[in-house]
Amino acid sequence: MHATIQKPITEILRFIRPGEKVFVVGCNNCAWKCHSGGPDETKAMAERLTRRGVDVVGYTVPGPQGMSLCKLDHTRKVLQQDYAEQTRRADSFLVLGCGQGVHTVIDATDGAMVHPGCDTIFGGETVSESDIQEFCSLCGECVIEYTGGLCPMTLCSKQLLNGPCGGAEKGMCEVDPERPCGWVLIYERLRKLGRLELLDAYQPPKDHAKWSRPRRLEVSPFEATFCSQAGRVTVSNQD
Amino acid sequence: MKITKLFQRGEFVITGEVGPIKGAVSRDWRVSPSCAQEAWHLQDFVHAVNVTDNQSAVMRLGSLAASVGLKQRGIEPIFQLTCRDRNRIALQSDLLTAYSLGIDNVLLLTGDHIQLGDHKSAKPVFDLDSVQLIRMAKGLQAGHDITGHDIENPPDMALGAVVNPNFEPLDLQLLKMRKKIDAGAEFFQTQAVYDDRVVDEFVAKTEKFGRPIQLGVVMLKSPQMGAFMNRNVSGISVPRAWIDEIGSVDKADRKKKAAEMMGRFIARHKDKFQGVHIMPLGWTDVVPEILEHAGISVAAAR
Repeated sequence: MHATIQKPITEILRFIRPGEKVFVVGCNNCAWKCHSGGPDETKAMAERLTRRGVDVVGYTVPGPQGMSLCKLDHTRKVLQQDYAEQTRRADSFLVLGCGQGVHTVIDATDGAMVHPGCDTIFGGETVSESDIQEFCSLCGECVIEYTGGLCPMTLCSKQLLNGPCGGAEKGMCEVDPERPCGWVLIYERLRKLGRLELLDAYQPPKDHAKWSRPRRLEVSPFEATFCSQAGRVTVSNQD
Repeated sequence: MKITKLFQRGEFVITGEVGPIKGAVSRDWRVSPSCAQEAWHLQDFVHAVNVTDNQSAVMRLGSLAASVGLKQRGIEPIFQLTCRDRNRIALQSDLLTAYSLGIDNVLLLTGDHIQLGDHKSAKPVFDLDSVQLIRMAKGLQAGHDITGHDIENPPDMALGAVVNPNFEPLDLQLLKMRKKIDAGAEFFQTQAVYDDRVVDEFVAKTEKFGRPIQLGVVMLKSPQMGAFMNRNVSGISVPRAWIDEIGSVDKADRKKKAAEMMGRFIARHKDKFQGVHIMPLGWTDVVPEILEHAGISVAAAR
């Protein structure tokens, strides 16, 4: 999931010009889980803005619970058909969702002015209803086979691939003494699994061309093509 | 001169350390930066002087410029190069530049994280880790860059690396040390150690590694500094006994006391190492005293 956190209302208010008519859009998936843009927060945002004198022409959170704002065809239908009257009057859209959702609203409205209502902070695991944690950096070249599934690009502050730096203190990271050293976590996990030999091999530098932006994925039921500065890589899911 | 030659000759290699100034070197040649003055104090007592690379992620004069400055003043530098601020292009370019400017020794490190320094909002690079950096430096020596392209006139510098004996679990740190050896590290300097048991466990586990190791020591100037290091300096822990002992004398006598304590510590352990790396933190003038307490002949260094 894409973790998001609402921007402070004071920052959002600075985005909106005097007299600007605003339509508020939330997301029924990730932003709902983050309490940054679900139905409750989207309704509340409309009210908070109205209270502060902003002309809010409407609000919605497309789809049932679990539906992502970033599913373009559905968001387009909701904004252009279901809410056509309000969205036609809107000068801009305040999006309570991740950066992908913001772009989806641009596409769904054929290029309307948008305002980000949230900061998109990371892709994470919903550990509990109140705790979302980051375990993957979306680097495009997964190395976690040899680390017992724990990502050094994410759990190590320096993204080291061949073991820890010398900075950890009693198993805690030099950057944040409250947080365990990612490499100590990897080591302890593999030790318990009896698979420490996985750490012996030299790990080459990452291919950062695969971490280039923007990237694209072309998908079909039978194969997918990952497009990045490293080129186009097609993989079958059938053979 | 490559310090690996000294190790090969069986010499006990003594190195010091200076940090480049926060600022530029004066165009007036009569004005030497403080780091050069510190290095001058050291030069009669050590074989070479490490020059730190934006140490603790605090922005300073470049380690390469300061290393070249020492070399021009007749002091053998060990150019420290970290992965924190340079991608693989800059790292290789700096290695080629270093050799081209007369540098014979490099120490290849990961680098302290940006969060420890004075530019916390900067983008951390860490394109390579220290193992990959060592392997890449070895590749340059062998005549090719990291992508396999041939290079002209390959550089020939001694490749040093670091290891932290204080790390828990130690076996994990040693796994990385082994990788550094496999990648091409020719000598090691340890992070500062104060604890006899830490030294002995480390020595027992690394004596078969077959690479020269210098014991790293940092001058403990005051009990406050010990507490500060325990709180703020990553990877170092100062035992209570050290803090109590340095605190047992008046401020005026601390320099002498610190030299004595450090000297005693080195004396206890020198036979287990191939050298010592002394980080005097500005108190460069007492390095001869430390060596005297440690029973190391000062003349040996020159």
